[in-house]
Amino acid sequence: MRPLFTAGWLVLLLATLCALAAAQGHFPAPTQVAIADDAEDDEGTKAIVTWKAPPVADIGAYMLGGYEVHLQQLGGSYLGRIAFSTTSPAKDFELVALVPDGNTTQATVGNIVPWRRYLVEVNAVYVPADEGPRVAEDDRLRWTNRDVSRSRATVSAAPVRPTGKPYNNKRTNVLVWVLGYSTIVLLTIYLARRRDSYIRPIAGLEAVNDAIGRATEMGQPILYVAGLSGISDIATIAAMLILGHLAKRTAAYETPILVPCQDPIVMTAEREIVREAYLEAGKPQNYEPENIFFVTDSQFGYVAAVDGIMLREKPAANFYMGYFFAEALILAETGSASGAIQIAGTDADTQLPFFITACDYTLMGEELYAASAYLSRNPLLVAQLKGQDIGKIVIIAMLLLGAAAATIGAIHGDWEFLKSFVNWFDVHH
Amino acid sequence: MAIGFIAGVFMIVQFFVPHAVATQGYELLLDWARIIGAFALVLGIGSLFRTHWDKIRRRRSGYGYNAVTLLSFGLMVWAGILYGTGEGSIGQRLTEVQDGATFEWLFNNVQVPLDATMFALLAFFIASAAYRTFRARNIEATLLLVTAVIVMLGRVPIGEMIYDRMPDVYEWIMQYPAVAGKRGILFGVALGSIATSLRIILGIERSHLGG
Repeated sequence: MRPLFTAGWLVLLLATLCALAAAQGHFPAPTQVAIADDAEDDEGTKAIVTWKAPPVADIGAYMLGGYEVHLQQLGGSYLGRIAFSTTSPAKDFELVALVPDGNTTQATVGNIVPWRRYLVEVNAVYVPADEGPRVAEDDRLRWTNRDVSRSRATVSAAPVRPTGKPYNNKRTNVLVWVLGYSTIVLLTIYLARRRDSYIRPIAGLEAVNDAIGRATEMGQPILYVAGLSGISDIATIAAMLILGHLAKRTAAYETPILVPCQDPIVMTAEREIVREAYLEAGKPQNYEPENIFFVTDSQFGYVAAVDGIMLREKPAANFYMGYFFAEALILAETGSASGAIQIAGTDADTQLPFFITACDYTLMGEELYAASAYLSRNPLLVAQLKGQDIGKIVIIAMLLLGAAAATIGAIHGDWEFLKSFVNWFDVHH
Repeated sequence: MAIGFIAGVFMIVQFFVPHAVATQGYELLLDWARIIGAFALVLGIGSLFRTHWDKIRRRRSGYGYNAVTLLSFGLMVWAGILYGTGEGSIGQRLTEVQDGATFEWLFNNVQVPLDATMFALLAFFIASAAYRTFRARNIEATLLLVTAVIVMLGRVPIGEMIYDRMPDVYEWIMQYPAVAGKRGILFGVALGSIATSLRIILGIERSHLGG
């Protein structure tokens, strides 16, 4: 009895396996699976998978619901044609995309590592015809049908190795301008070694000495605000350069300088700048690090604190250099009410009108960046200003040419070269 | 200076190289900057403490405000660390207090109204600045005055009652002359910032390094 019982179970198991195999073979698989580099992707992290749909879409009560795409990273790593590692093993196939549409025969897979080789396999998924394909909302790689049957997977014939592009040719116009302008600036710096350059007087910078002198005579400190942007903003760096020159002069006159900071990194850098300035002036003993202090990174908390300093300490001169937001007028008006002479400089075009209204002198836009050269009178830096002016002339010429080209191009619509000229200035991100 | 040169050149090159390696390098540098910023905050807090504690210790005039500053700082730190600002904080494990409620209450009912108060001062300061500025002292000032009046009237219903095309005039002023002037300034700013960046990357200017 016992051998008969065991044989019966074995037959039943065999029959079940045969049925399963038949069922899988019963659902046709996609064919001609291929994986290729995504030509639109510059980073080299995407690939396009294509396949041909199975010849039969409906099998009994089931319909072709969609496809599953599995990706396998092959072993090794390649740089061009040179394999610098062949020891890393291949990974298993991993489900990366689920296509809930039997008519779609293409999918884009991402998160690919450039220069590595990948194989793909695609299998068809059949779902009950009365349900249609359903995918979970919170997990786009999970079917929610009551019954899902899969065909066998078809593997791509050849692997793909996305390489990405080494250069974004849509930004050629930017590259041309950056290289051209940089060449002009460096050339003017080089030529400065041979002769001096003239720089027009800038009222705000001419008044710096007067402001420091006023503070010294009144025995009051100077307040310096380096903007409310971080150190990654070039305006803040320009403000720190100006602080260096200012600190040298205040050190020479032994006038205290207060520098409340909104960013701790800026505070650290400004402490070093002021310390060096006092060292260069030969008065290191007068340097007080507590005069350069962190207040808060909250915008209006900082403004409230600086306003309080203005009203209590009553500085004789206020300097606002850098990038400012809505608090610019609050600072300037409070400083004006306290009776201080105020010199501002910012590249924030929205705040310039407020500074012009409330301050005695204002450095507008590029004058903030020219201030360092102006105050130091370093021949190299002053000559670089000439390069900026040449750059402005080039921009004006381009503006006039572009306006003429766009106008004539609108009249003569068939002059394609004019449209190409105007479109060349478009910046693509 | 060498580090600045290498990092500066890399960031310039990265703008033109779309490859994933360049993008990952760029993001790595940004992560480093964030980490340094977090550590720099410790220096900032140290400076804050030293500044205010020194004034309290010396009983400087108004040292009560310094004491309030340090107490407020301590209160927010206590509320944030102990009671958390969201799910999974220490507070959730130590107490039954709803997560983040204390910190959020303090922020919403103290910090936000104070910020709003300072912002509200702008309205009065703008009125005061406008009163001082809009005077017909010379041709440019007269032009400014006339333009300002047109723009102000164009934004309110009474302007349309005075002249039915006032809003159109306002739109034209804001879209053409104002934008033209703004772009002119921005051109100069762009050129200046590129030149300043070049000076710093190439080491021609080193004052920001304290040298």
